[in-house]
Amino acid sequence: MPNIWSIGGGKGGSGKSFITGNLGILLAKGGYKTLLVDLDLGAANLHTIIGLPLPEKSISDFLNKKVGTLQETVEPTPVPNLYLISGAMNDLDIANLAHEQKLKIIRNIPKLPYDYILLDLGAGTSFNTIDFFMISALGIFVTTPEPTSIENIYRLIRSVYFRKIRQVLSSHNFRTLAEEAQERDARATVSNPDILLYIMKELDPEKGEILENELRTFNFKLALNQLRKQDNPNIGALICKIIQRHLALKMHFLGNISFDERVHNAVCKKIPFLDLYPYTQTTLDLRTCHKNLLTIDEAEPILQNVVD
Amino acid sequence: MKPFREQNYYELLEILPDASPLEIRRAYKRVFELYQDESIVSYSFFSKEEREEILSLLEKAYLALIDLESRAQYDRRLIELGLMDRDGQYSNKMKEPIPIYDFKKVHFDVFEPAGRLEELKERVSQNEIIQRILAQDTLTGADLHKIRTELDIPLEEIADSTKVQIGMLRAIEEDNLKIFPPAVYLKGFLKSYARYLQIDESVVVNGFIKRIGEGK
Repeated sequence: MPNIWSIGGGKGGSGKSFITGNLGILLAKGGYKTLLVDLDLGAANLHTIIGLPLPEKSISDFLNKKVGTLQETVEPTPVPNLYLISGAMNDLDIANLAHEQKLKIIRNIPKLPYDYILLDLGAGTSFNTIDFFMISALGIFVTTPEPTSIENIYRLIRSVYFRKIRQVLSSHNFRTLAEEAQERDARATVSNPDILLYIMKELDPEKGEILENELRTFNFKLALNQLRKQDNPNIGALICKIIQRHLALKMHFLGNISFDERVHNAVCKKIPFLDLYPYTQTTLDLRTCHKNLLTIDEAEPILQNVVD
Repeated sequence: MKPFREQNYYELLEILPDASPLEIRRAYKRVFELYQDESIVSYSFFSKEEREEILSLLEKAYLALIDLESRAQYDRRLIELGLMDRDGQYSNKMKEPIPIYDFKKVHFDVFEPAGRLEELKERVSQNEIIQRILAQDTLTGADLHKIRTELDIPLEEIADSTKVQIGMLRAIEEDNLKIFPPAVYLKGFLKSYARYLQIDESVVVNGFIKRIGEGK
């Protein structure tokens, strides 16, 4: 069973593909057989980040039954050990995926024979994005230190959480319990999952525990991208803290990734940033994130002292 | 983890129950910055009502804990409910300032083992040689030296404890009259010497002075 990481972030342009691509390269260089899947259907460009010329195969070949298995759409990349399922040469209407096709992808991805599979997801909180995100309980959220981006992160996390609770509620016939909880405390809705969970546990300890355990399987990480010098370096750690405290979710901070003008150059030249600029702060930050990802540390994030 | 609203004041501020007022102030500043209206981190996480509720809770917690009297009251309630350990309470561990004019200075010898004096007294009374010397009418420096070696106490130890210069003690034992101080000081030194060895002060002083007088 491969380690599958979903990489999402509510807002476009926050650097999801950039981080997916570069983390993938680092994992592959570390000796892991790594697969990147571009699930930003309709706006796929992960191949450019890792320096692959326009791919010939794509995920729609599998959906159109041009090939028999998902494995046949995998393309090797210039980086040894790194493989890609591209979403580039898709049919133009792929963004509006039929439910059947979506399930087909979701069912087949965990069967692929790789050590690590990174899923690059699109922006927004559409059904497709959330369903793809939930292929795995391991998720990496990417945000920039801007209110717009942070707002979307919260929205995405709540959507995933909401979907999970709904799934568990319907599969265990919990609906009555949820209604009962809401009667007791009006705030116990899915947007306040911590209260909901607490009251449901009081009402029915046994079932509340099932829900709690289901939610505990989530293991989220946060990467703060495009941190400029004048930004507060603690924002990422504080976002994690708020989510841990108020949503009762596991959320660990991977690290800050410094803003670098030259990312633009790397994308224009179609060369991976790590290779073009190996001795920059940003590359160093990416390596730190990669290290933190592999050593899943449960420790509290350490806040740096900021001199006002 | 307990939901936010069910947490006690210490948990709200993320401090331990024995936090000092300074730590409470810092903790409040920290959480306030996280939850205030302009915080980039939390502004989109909470609705206006939620934020107001959280901020008022935090303020209540801060005001209750920063005042020592109301804090003690709150602690008592927590202890009654069994939510807090009595030993975990805050107590001021800071040192109070030391007054300049401290007349009650206590002097104690760190190196002096308990029961040394009793033991020494016992040895003096048991030792026949010492008793014989002390029974003499006059005492010489050599006699004192003899007593000291019988008790097996180095001269350095006496000098260290009595603060009498070692050269002076040696002069007494060697009857080196030339460097003896005036009689009033000599008496004091002899007293300290005798006291340290736990032999009779007046016997030593009188016997020694008497012999010096004879010698002159």
